[in-house]
Amino acid sequence: MTGKQLLLKALKDRGVRHIFGYTGGAIMPIFDEMEKLDIFKFVMSRHEQGAAFMAQGMSRASLSTDAPQIGVCMSTSGPGAMNLVTGVADAHMDSVPMMAITGQVATGVIATDAFQESDVVGVMMPISKQTYMPLSAEEIEKTIHEGFYVATTGRGGPILVDIPKDVQNQQVGEDYQFDVKTYRPQLPGYFYTPTPEREPIQRAIELINKSERPVIFCGHGVINSNAGELLQELAEKVNIPVAFTLHGLSAMPADHPLSLGMMGMHGTVEANRVIMEADLLISFGMRFDDRVTGKLSEYAQNADVIHVEIDPSEIDKNVKTSVAINADVYRTLHVLLGDPMLTYQPRRRWWDKIAVFRKVMADDLEMEIEKGLGDDNKLLMKSIIHQLSKLTEGRDLIVPDVGQHQMMAARFYNYQTKNSWFASGGAGTMGCSLPMAIGVKLARPEERVWSISGDGGFQMNAQELGTIMEQKIDLKIIILNNGHLGMVRQWQTFFFDGRYAGTPMQSPDFGLLAKAYGIPHRRVEKLQDVAPALQEAIDHCGAIVLEFICDPSEVILPMVPSGGGFDTMIIKHPRTEAAKNEGEAA
Amino acid sequence: MRKRAILAFMLDRPGVLNKVSLLIRKKMYNVDTLTVCRSRIPGVSRMTITLEEKDEAKVTQVIKQLEKFTEVISAKELDTDHSYWREVAIVKLEVDVAHLDAFHGRYNFEILEQKSEDIHLLQVSGSTRNIDAFLDELGQEHIIEIARTGVTAMEK
Repeated sequence: MTGKQLLLKALKDRGVRHIFGYTGGAIMPIFDEMEKLDIFKFVMSRHEQGAAFMAQGMSRASLSTDAPQIGVCMSTSGPGAMNLVTGVADAHMDSVPMMAITGQVATGVIATDAFQESDVVGVMMPISKQTYMPLSAEEIEKTIHEGFYVATTGRGGPILVDIPKDVQNQQVGEDYQFDVKTYRPQLPGYFYTPTPEREPIQRAIELINKSERPVIFCGHGVINSNAGELLQELAEKVNIPVAFTLHGLSAMPADHPLSLGMMGMHGTVEANRVIMEADLLISFGMRFDDRVTGKLSEYAQNADVIHVEIDPSEIDKNVKTSVAINADVYRTLHVLLGDPMLTYQPRRRWWDKIAVFRKVMADDLEMEIEKGLGDDNKLLMKSIIHQLSKLTEGRDLIVPDVGQHQMMAARFYNYQTKNSWFASGGAGTMGCSLPMAIGVKLARPEERVWSISGDGGFQMNAQELGTIMEQKIDLKIIILNNGHLGMVRQWQTFFFDGRYAGTPMQSPDFGLLAKAYGIPHRRVEKLQDVAPALQEAIDHCGAIVLEFICDPSEVILPMVPSGGGFDTMIIKHPRTEAAKNEGEAA
Repeated sequence: MRKRAILAFMLDRPGVLNKVSLLIRKKMYNVDTLTVCRSRIPGVSRMTITLEEKDEAKVTQVIKQLEKFTEVISAKELDTDHSYWREVAIVKLEVDVAHLDAFHGRYNFEILEQKSEDIHLLQVSGSTRNIDAFLDELGQEHIIEIARTGVTAMEK
């Protein structure tokens, strides 16, 4: 057997069925072998970054199914591998297990600046969970299995395997043996502790029982450990509201009576106000990122913190914990739910307060959504998302890009299906949506998938329309076109005196672009056409692009200014404020 | 600023030092000293890193993130009260032998070689402060060249 054969055997043994990638000189032997084997469905991206996001989509969407599949992307050396970097860094920030396999120049010429040579291991090291460069065919199978083990255990993350071309072609010795069934990785330095210890659990229960104003946080760890139902059960059992991080969305139904919606910079008023006044934060699988906490010195000052987290280096990193539970979220919830000491409490005062918080913006938002139009009678994104949510009953899979529309999709889609929201959070990579949605659709072909982008992000990976065309991917593509980079524009409105530096942008005729790829396109400018267009996309079999012409002055509120505390939360557009003041003066 | 020593045991594999230095750079430290040697266990290296940081929590973060590396088996901070920090220096200097006699008994040094009447190669070991004091007392103007190993440390 050769290195390339053992590589593909190992991938097959690990349940891989799809490979996303782009060929080139240094990876040709593996592609050639793949062609002979006919085991994998190869999906050719139009840029390696696309392949990395497709692999992410596969990993993220399939983890909650009966057949989880780790996304695998492949590229050649040098520029091919460098083009994967953004997608790998994104997976690293969002704890997404995936494997990137890159061809490398032959061992004999490594470090001679050979054609298409880059130090891929060196570049990927700080943005991967682990990197490998097998130097003999004998190492390959073991490397792949170890890589999958590391990628998928503990806190997930991307793995890089850089394989020199000669190693791909190398024959293993006659005495080569490898038994998948008995193989156990030898990693004396790799630890993770899935099972919670008794003592912190007991202290956590005491804190929960005596708390008057508690709140549960649902983070990405809840999704990653498939623990949404357990979290909901816990929240119901103890009668405590739940706030979600961006990645915690869709772990339980968004309209559940205990749900406060998303927290943080663009979180709901109720979630952020609850955090300000809480006496206990019970956080599951999250890392208290700055977009979640705002100014740390002012964050939840009166609250004890119970932090359940599989990665010990996240505990006490940003927020000091009262009780640290370094364990898997699913197992911790299981233990908590089985403990008879945990009690239901009515907490009437707390719920009365929450009811008040919920009302702060409710009427304004409802009015805006109802009106559906902003300046110059252009469409409002939040209203489009709201209509999409209504038409699909919140059951579809949503893959947003990054920016204002992403926050709209996070806030105004009523997530009902578990693990149905796939976003780039930590890295915030514009352009991720279109390729990631391809991976999501291939992972869950029976479900409807919407890729929602702005005009900016869409153009960052628009070439993947070619992949959609070639693979006949039934993807519903929404472009919320406001002619600007909306989120940056919003910051400019609020904090840069309305100087729109580098944010207005001219787009091509998206209709002609879609047409070039044989994909139908609808341009929607009128409010009454929104729902019919969405319905047409639902009824249409195959990919379709819906372009909505949106109001660039629309903002996503509330907003906690970067580095500010929750008390600085902006809940009214400065323009509305100004108009109101003028009115009062008159 | 407080000098900190971090002791870490890790697999003796290519790239591990790279990972450690990437982390320290990412955390915006300048490494004061870094020593690596074999440990008692075959295939496991022992690394001592010293750097300056006054915030306890930040050092804990560095240690936790070091431990997160697949190859790092354990890492901990060694404080000066509960551990020995030592280094070795080799010094080439131009000095009278008689001048050196005054230091015998007070510092732990030996003459490796007398290259000419006035040129000596010395080896001196001890704590960083001890070596610094020796060199100061000797007179920096006598020193032609100096090589120091950096700190290695062990718990008491």
